[in-house]
Amino acid sequence: MPTLSELVVRIADDDAAFATALAAVDATPAAARATALDALKIAWVGRKSGRIADLMALLPTLPPADRKAFGQQVNALKQRVEQALAEREATVAATRRPAHAVDLTLPGRAPLLGHRHPLSLVREEVQQIFTRLGYQVLEGPEIEDDWHNFEALNMHADHPARDMQDTLYLNEPLHATPHAPWAAASSARARAPQPLTLLRTHTSAMQIRYMEQHDPPVRLVAIGPVYRRDNLDLTHTPMFHQCEGLVVGKGITLAHLKGTLLAMAEALFGAGTDVRFRPSFFPYTEPSAEVDVRCISCAGTGCAVCKHTGWLEILGSGMVHPAVFEAVGYDPAEVTGFAFGMGIERVAMLKWDVGDIRLFYENDLRFLEQFSV
Amino acid sequence: MKVLYSWLRDYVSVPDGPAELGRRLSLRGLALEGLEPVAAGPAPDDAVPVGDDAVIDFDVTANRPDCLSVVGIAREVAAVYGLPLRMPGPEAPGHLRTARMAGADAASFTVTLDAPDLCPRFAGAAAGVRVAPSPAWMQHRLQALGVRPISNVVDVTNYVMLELGQPMHAFDHARLAGDAIVVRQARPGETLVTLDGKTRTLAPPQLVVADRDRAAAIGGVMGGLDSEVKDTTSRIVLEAAWWRPRSIRATSKALGLKTEASTRFERGADPTGQARAIARALALLEILGAGAADGPLVDAVAIPHVAPAIALTHAHVEGLLGMPVPVEAVERILHALGFSADATGPGAWRVTVPGWRPDVTRPEDLIEEVGRHHGFEHLPATFPPVLQAPPPSDPRIARDAVARRVMLALGFSEAISFAFIEAAAAEPFAAGAAPIALANPLSETFAVMRPSVLPGVVDAVSHNRRHGRRDVRVFEIATAFAAAGERRSLAAAWTGAAGGDHWSGGRRDVDFFDIAGAVEQIGRAYGVAATLAPDVPPYLVAGRAAAVAVDGATVGVCGLLDPAVAERRGIPRADAADVFVLELALDALATAAPPGATRVTPLPRFPAVVRDLALLVDDTLSAQSLRDTIRKAGGDSLISVELFDRFDPKKGDGKVSLAFRLTFQAPDRTLLDDEVQHSLVRIHQVAVAEHGAVRR
Ligand SMILES: [Zn+2]
Repeated sequence: MPTLSELVVRIADDDAAFATALAAVDATPAAARATALDALKIAWVGRKSGRIADLMALLPTLPPADRKAFGQQVNALKQRVEQALAEREATVAATRRPAHAVDLTLPGRAPLLGHRHPLSLVREEVQQIFTRLGYQVLEGPEIEDDWHNFEALNMHADHPARDMQDTLYLNEPLHATPHAPWAAASSARARAPQPLTLLRTHTSAMQIRYMEQHDPPVRLVAIGPVYRRDNLDLTHTPMFHQCEGLVVGKGITLAHLKGTLLAMAEALFGAGTDVRFRPSFFPYTEPSAEVDVRCISCAGTGCAVCKHTGWLEILGSGMVHPAVFEAVGYDPAEVTGFAFGMGIERVAMLKWDVGDIRLFYENDLRFLEQFSV
Repeated sequence: MKVLYSWLRDYVSVPDGPAELGRRLSLRGLALEGLEPVAAGPAPDDAVPVGDDAVIDFDVTANRPDCLSVVGIAREVAAVYGLPLRMPGPEAPGHLRTARMAGADAASFTVTLDAPDLCPRFAGAAAGVRVAPSPAWMQHRLQALGVRPISNVVDVTNYVMLELGQPMHAFDHARLAGDAIVVRQARPGETLVTLDGKTRTLAPPQLVVADRDRAAAIGGVMGGLDSEVKDTTSRIVLEAAWWRPRSIRATSKALGLKTEASTRFERGADPTGQARAIARALALLEILGAGAADGPLVDAVAIPHVAPAIALTHAHVEGLLGMPVPVEAVERILHALGFSADATGPGAWRVTVPGWRPDVTRPEDLIEEVGRHHGFEHLPATFPPVLQAPPPSDPRIARDAVARRVMLALGFSEAISFAFIEAAAAEPFAAGAAPIALANPLSETFAVMRPSVLPGVVDAVSHNRRHGRRDVRVFEIATAFAAAGERRSLAAAWTGAAGGDHWSGGRRDVDFFDIAGAVEQIGRAYGVAATLAPDVPPYLVAGRAAAVAVDGATVGVCGLLDPAVAERRGIPRADAADVFVLELALDALATAAPPGATRVTPLPRFPAVVRDLALLVDDTLSAQSLRDTIRKAGGDSLISVELFDRFDPKKGDGKVSLAFRLTFQAPDRTLLDDEVQHSLVRIHQVAVAEHGAVRR
């Protein structure tokens, strides 16, 4: 007469044996798997000859005190076996279908949907963020005159800062009027049209046009392509997209700029994103600051993306330089303002971990199709 | 600007190591560009070099010429750490007597400033020298900062430039003719062989430092080869001058000659630092045993520098920054940076700007100094008040979004291309006009502004074809450029399959009616009826392309791209790639759209009667004219005429069957069968009469 401990060992042996048998079935070629599974089922849970039934048959041979414990263990094994068999059966069944049914796994007839360009997606996201914050969104002429692109922005012809932005010039000046909203001199402060000589190097040119024609307060973002004489490499293209914000009014402060950029960064990169200001220099702002966001790939602990600084530079900003206000006919004693400029490509590269900026301009469908409509 | 960490410590006892120092300065305006650990080298005090040193590279912004010197950076460091700055001596050595222009009797040479506006100050001194290599410590420091050691005399001038930011030059006294130095504009065509051995041809208003006979140096840019200090030189004239930045900038640009000196002068050297630089250089010559002054300092000053004074208030500081900054902090920061702030009332100062800070001219500039050294990290994050509803955004944004939605729904993916393209790529689309050309394009690939947005999408097709993609549908919404101005355009290209490939079959390649259908849908989205006319530009295939018009005005084109144009953009004819394109002027389309909201038509109260009518007509008859005939003949109750089938029953007989679905409906009653029948008969009669149609 076997003892309980001997039978427990046998249960454990059976458990291991089943696992081996199951693995053998899994390794059977798909076409023969259903048959193998049937055989396994009969061998284990067959009512008369199954190994589970064999175990159960030993129950009466045990002393009454041990029967309950033994029964429970055999039942547990049975459940494991049945569950494993049921899973395999479901898998096998899924590969077949009843004759009257369609094959649900055939591809559906999906009408083709286009894919949004990632720069277009970021641009729209930025537009939405600032629309929500009460800004108007403007575009402007891409071919500009010297006054709006440089002079009015405190970048005079011999200013070293002009070296910072290598400009693309037209062969011959154009005497066309810029797009309608900016053509008419609707304000006494607007200047007579000048010959258009260059491709705008920043959307700040647009801000000058706006201020010349509208009195403060101002609360706008200008978005669109800008052009610089930069050779193509991993992080530079001679055309890229910029989003520039401008807020002018009584009592606008650098702290307002920080709050605004923090809100933008959180909207773009997720809640908890932090920003920091590093003092810098731009001819059209004073004070000026470069703005970093806490690295989105390492959360600030340091990684290759942020060159182990924990921060990623995303934009330049500052308080509008009084000379700019003077150029557009605002009184710097009356109003202050902040401005910032951000590269759309830069944000897209960070957001989607794009390592080569040139991908945005190749229009390779294998790239574009990774973005949804 | 590279600085050697140990050199910096000559002037300020910074407690942090190079890395932490770099990090802290980055948050105060001197961005850390690079950090290169180096072994400690020989020091001026002959101490045995121990431990590590580092070359710290700071990105100095264009407005901070003062930080193109070790002392300038040390001043920032001292301000950041609240430590004293030890200036290198001597401040004004006793043995140097200043000889003003008028009474330079005791000096062995005179200085005349002939271009006082561009060079208002020129300090000089003569010294007897023994030319030899400079000591190891000086060579080590120069090399660490990227300057090649030459000889003790030249090294001293370079050392002072790096230390104080005042570029200097040493002339071989023996090679200067006469004893009168003149700073004047170059004569037209005047030549000078510069230190680099190149012959420079000069022109006014470029400045030269000249002796009695000829130019000896290009002022503020580079010295002349002939008067350079050589091993045999026994007597030198040291120069430390101040040059007007825009003059140096223009000269440097015109000559294509950028030097350590020109870089500093064009950004603005300290207009008060010349005598000090001469004194420091003479002191170093003595320290090195390389020589000594043998005459007084000649300090020619044509226009004395007047230190600007700026009125600053505490309220302005806090008002612009939007954060509290204690009065004491304002004073401490300004003082540490070398400004003197004299209180003119409670929370009000008259701030005098030191010569090395030409960038500071307004209160806002001072507020930046205070703000950055107090720390931008203390800025609270607040919001600007919204005082009025924002004016509307550029209408083009919402308008372009309509076209974008339609194109995406039609299966086109969005492309973005460069606005400048190859001249050859622009040519077919320029309608005979010369495209707008760039004066300084990066390359021939980016030579002209696109006259149409089509070249970009055609190139996108080409790119994808070359990368193994047969079916391509792309669109771009962007600006096209012409002499008349910029216009916003929607362009699209479609090649390969008309629909998605599906296992159930039905694959078909795109044809004219697919692209025409896209145009129709866009028109519908803008609420306009687009009609097609046969006149097309030469880059399309006549007969399989159309001009798109709204209310009689052309707004664009659609149809088959000329295979020759496609081939030139890398889409080979051989792979039978029909490329269908469309381009629509979105400005024109939007102008044509009816203003205001569209009104909903109430649903009809009485039932409609639908009848099909098939007519056999000549296959050259346009569907449009038959449809117009039916409409006219159908009367008021005919509310819709839809062509639903076109069929060629006997191929080759020139006859085609067009089937129309006609819907009759009256707003006020149920139509009687007789009425509808009567209309159909009349339609048939008119069609027979006008087009010889036969009812099938
Ligand atoms: Zn990181």
